[in-house]
Amino acid sequence: MKKTIQIPLGSQHISLLEPIRFKFECENEKIIGVDADVGFVHRGVELACTRSFEFKQVGYVVARVCGLCAITHSLSYTLAVEKLLGYVANDRIKYLRMLMVELDRIHSHMLCLAHTAENAGFEALFMQIMGDRELIMDVQEAISGNRVQFDYISIGGVNRDLTPELVALTHKNLGLLSEKIDALIGLFDNNWSLSLKYKGVGVLSLEEAYTYNALGPLARAAGLATDVRAETSDFPYEALGYTMILESTGDIHARNFVRLREIVNSIAMCRNIIENLPIGEIQEKAKGKPNGEAVVRVEAPRGELFYLVRGSGQNMLDRVRIKTPTFSAIPAMMEVFKGAEYADAPAILASFDPCMSCTAK
Amino acid sequence: MLRSLLEAFLNLFRPIRTHRYPAEEIVLPSGYRGLIEYGIDACIFCDKCEKVCPPGAILFYQNEDGTKTYRYNPWLCIYCGECVRACPKPEEALWQSETKQLSALKEDGANEGWFVWEAACKQSREAYATVKKSAKIQNKSEE
Repeated sequence: MKKTIQIPLGSQHISLLEPIRFKFECENEKIIGVDADVGFVHRGVELACTRSFEFKQVGYVVARVCGLCAITHSLSYTLAVEKLLGYVANDRIKYLRMLMVELDRIHSHMLCLAHTAENAGFEALFMQIMGDRELIMDVQEAISGNRVQFDYISIGGVNRDLTPELVALTHKNLGLLSEKIDALIGLFDNNWSLSLKYKGVGVLSLEEAYTYNALGPLARAAGLATDVRAETSDFPYEALGYTMILESTGDIHARNFVRLREIVNSIAMCRNIIENLPIGEIQEKAKGKPNGEAVVRVEAPRGELFYLVRGSGQNMLDRVRIKTPTFSAIPAMMEVFKGAEYADAPAILASFDPCMSCTAK
Repeated sequence: MLRSLLEAFLNLFRPIRTHRYPAEEIVLPSGYRGLIEYGIDACIFCDKCEKVCPPGAILFYQNEDGTKTYRYNPWLCIYCGECVRACPKPEEALWQSETKQLSALKEDGANEGWFVWEAACKQSREAYATVKKSAKIQNKSEE
């Protein structure tokens, strides 16, 4: 007689933000085997980038791959094309781009924390964190003119400048947020009922993180020192107070803590950026047509985002390849589920911060 | 644990976090990216906005007398402002306002009506090109 039972999670499930299907092989309550299917929201973005849109328009197309890290996608694409055009942005443009990416990281991490809390059964904490997240959304809306699709970065610069009012608003909201994050750190660290759901649950060891190529907060929670921000020199991260956040236990609690401490670090970096903003043009001419092949890596909120752009001196590109962080982290994710309780599965899944519309694109 | 309970109790007396939306209007920040607006008097019909628009939400219809008619689809527009940056006369011919577009109704024909218009624009250009070509040939033969 068969001793295991199969329980599916998804493709539509109350704990999922986006469609993904897991097939869990369970022995009593314990998960012993996992099978994942991620391709439910395929939209053919890569093909559209090479068939329907010219290279100057593609930046706005790839921004629609993902709602949360829209700015990271358009930034990666823009950097790749600028490499092909031989254009180097000035310091002001670099700083403004960094500011938006870091703000994006803060609000994406907060969404993940809220969602992890909700999936572990703390609806009130979910509401509270989502309410606090509005502070950052307001700043982003005021800077870029839109709440979700910023369309802020274009080839050769950024589309809008920071005014003194925006600087004041950013300072004010970052100050308010940093108090709230301090309170949240205390809550996540000391609250007894939160620790029941998070501590020792969904453990990814350092060795497994190496073997299964984990990345982003998932890897850093296991103690694996990998961060594109420290590995590339496209942006002056070191000068603006970037520190790599590492935890050692690799459970949900550690992942939450990596995110919380990264938010604190990002807030400090945002403050440094707006205080030390260099003077310069925000939009420069980048002439020519992309010819050759360029690879760009950018640290998205969920890990390394990889772009390959190939052009042959035409208006249309030959190839745009997008490798998203969630896609690369699937083997590590599947490993974490093995040995966990089935009841913990939604909370573990939320702690990975999976982005399915990125993955299937 | 006790602190959480105290917080929960105190929340009874704190102001609510959410907006009372229909009663209380949500204030948009200044510089909100809204509808693209067009001034026909300043337009020089260079078609730059039509060429750069990522979704193709701006089209020009070629009239037989050589003039062009501007047509804009606010439901297709992604409000990126690329057309305004490409415009040789921004603020006079093409600018981005802060007004929001309401959802399309069936009568607006946001999809079907636009497809008809797209086809008509394409056809009008082709027809105009053939008329011009034949006129050129005629001119040459007259010479």
